[in-house]
Amino acid sequence: MVAGAELSQPVIQVGQDLTILVFAPGVSGAIAQVEARFQGRRGPRVLQPYYDLAKLFRKETLVPEDASWVFLAGPVVAFMCYLVVPLLIPELTTYSLPLGYMGDILGGGFILALAGFSVALAAAETDAPYAQLGSSRAMTFAALIEPSILFVTFSVALITTTDLPYAEAAAARSSFAAAIRPAHLLAALAFFLVVLNDTGRIPVETHSSTLEFGMIDEARTLEHSGPALALLKWGSNMKQLILYVLLINVFAAPWGLAGSRQPGAIGLAVVVFLGKALAVGLVFTLIDNSFSKLRLFKITEFMAAAFLLAVLAVLVLFLGGGA
Amino acid sequence: MIGVGVPVAALVHSQVPSAFSGVAEGLTLVVLLSEFAMLRAPLSRSQIRLYSFQSLAVTALAAYVAAARGIPDLYALAVLSLGLKVIVVPLVIVRLLRDARVELVASNRLSVATMTLLAIGLAVFAVFVLGSLPVHSHSLPAAAFNLSAAVILVAFLLVIVRSDVISQAVGFFSLENGVSVTSLVVAAGLPLVVEVAFLFDLLVAVVVFGVLMRVHHGRTDTLSTDVLDRLKG
Repeated sequence: MVAGAELSQPVIQVGQDLTILVFAPGVSGAIAQVEARFQGRRGPRVLQPYYDLAKLFRKETLVPEDASWVFLAGPVVAFMCYLVVPLLIPELTTYSLPLGYMGDILGGGFILALAGFSVALAAAETDAPYAQLGSSRAMTFAALIEPSILFVTFSVALITTTDLPYAEAAAARSSFAAAIRPAHLLAALAFFLVVLNDTGRIPVETHSSTLEFGMIDEARTLEHSGPALALLKWGSNMKQLILYVLLINVFAAPWGLAGSRQPGAIGLAVVVFLGKALAVGLVFTLIDNSFSKLRLFKITEFMAAAFLLAVLAVLVLFLGGGA
Repeated sequence: MIGVGVPVAALVHSQVPSAFSGVAEGLTLVVLLSEFAMLRAPLSRSQIRLYSFQSLAVTALAAYVAAARGIPDLYALAVLSLGLKVIVVPLVIVRLLRDARVELVASNRLSVATMTLLAIGLAVFAVFVLGSLPVHSHSLPAAAFNLSAAVILVAFLLVIVRSDVISQAVGFFSLENGVSVTSLVVAAGLPLVVEVAFLFDLLVAVVVFGVLMRVHHGRTDTLSTDVLDRLKG
């Protein structure tokens, strides 16, 4: 390795956080723009989410009469959670950063679940029926998708004998046969469906709808306003990008990450990552525009499909994966 | 490279299957997944389309095994199954459906999520039962063998839980697909005559089911088998 201009690891780690923090609204804006184009509309500017956030931060916060401090703490806790997760996942580097081995896939999942829980709790604090309906639905469907996440974790554990996202990415990178092995593809596909569910995309939820009856995640934020709403919106953009990181850099395409600490390599990794995130966003937009939303009680079918894929991944690994 | 703690590569233990078994298992999985999709498919038409797609996967598997193992006979089988199972049989069923002119909605006896969970249970059962058999070979893609048994059991489930003639026929035909996958991965060198005999079986089944469908529809004016448990005066 060339000595000299190397970034220290904490700096890279902060860089991972900043990448998510700064670019998350932009990626959402770009996806919204592409989606509008597919529908024959001109669509909002790519930078529109940033303007929205700036506007919301200037506004005042209104709190419902009966709500306690939890109502305002929820968005903050969620936002903090979304800042912690990027420290633990292979976003820019192939090697793990300090404490990266501390948080395995389940650890990251727990932190994301804590974020979802605190938003739901804040929504339940209000007396508003739609916010409460959203929070109860969000928790219900989170519980239903959980088995798929567990089985994806199991298959990662069987492939790598750890449950570190870094190890799974390294396993997929190690050879062509490892990248196309059925267990890996199935786990990737199952995780894709999980991401589809968790980002509130079309077979499960219309993410830009204003119709309360179909809402799940969106309904939770209806009562918030001002900076709290800004944190929620920013947080949901960050959550989307974090899930994209996991989908891309652990399962779908763990290539193009920096293998060294050179500033150039890290910078290139940021660009490559954003390109990959936009490509994934494009896939999600295509799905958004070519399928219709499932009825609420049909969502279990979607969950069953994700579970099926994850179970098959584990099955294939148990028999013939190692032999 | 620079890393903290354990180098990541050292953590990757599990042995990677060869590219041959990877592809063979992948194609078998496509066959199995389309079987699951058939279980879910709400319309008879989409079920038939799925059957055609499944047969295409079997054809691809035959062609792949032929190329990878160097068995030219299997190319002939691939061509035959492309012509018969992907094109002719689905066309015949669609034609029968058109003549019947009844509602295209296939009937479920159970909810989709329940059916899927049941089918997952069956698949797990099949995979573990066959996994405990002492069939081990260097060149055998083991998971593909087990998964093909899962295809067969799930096809049985399709025949059981659906109560319309089309689903039952398609279930039976796809069962044959499962059998051909098994023969392809276990005994790729099976003489062509035996394979062609399988296909001939399928043709006979198509004729029989066609006659059955027509007679049933002629008598009851529906394709549902639910009316069959009623006594006739």
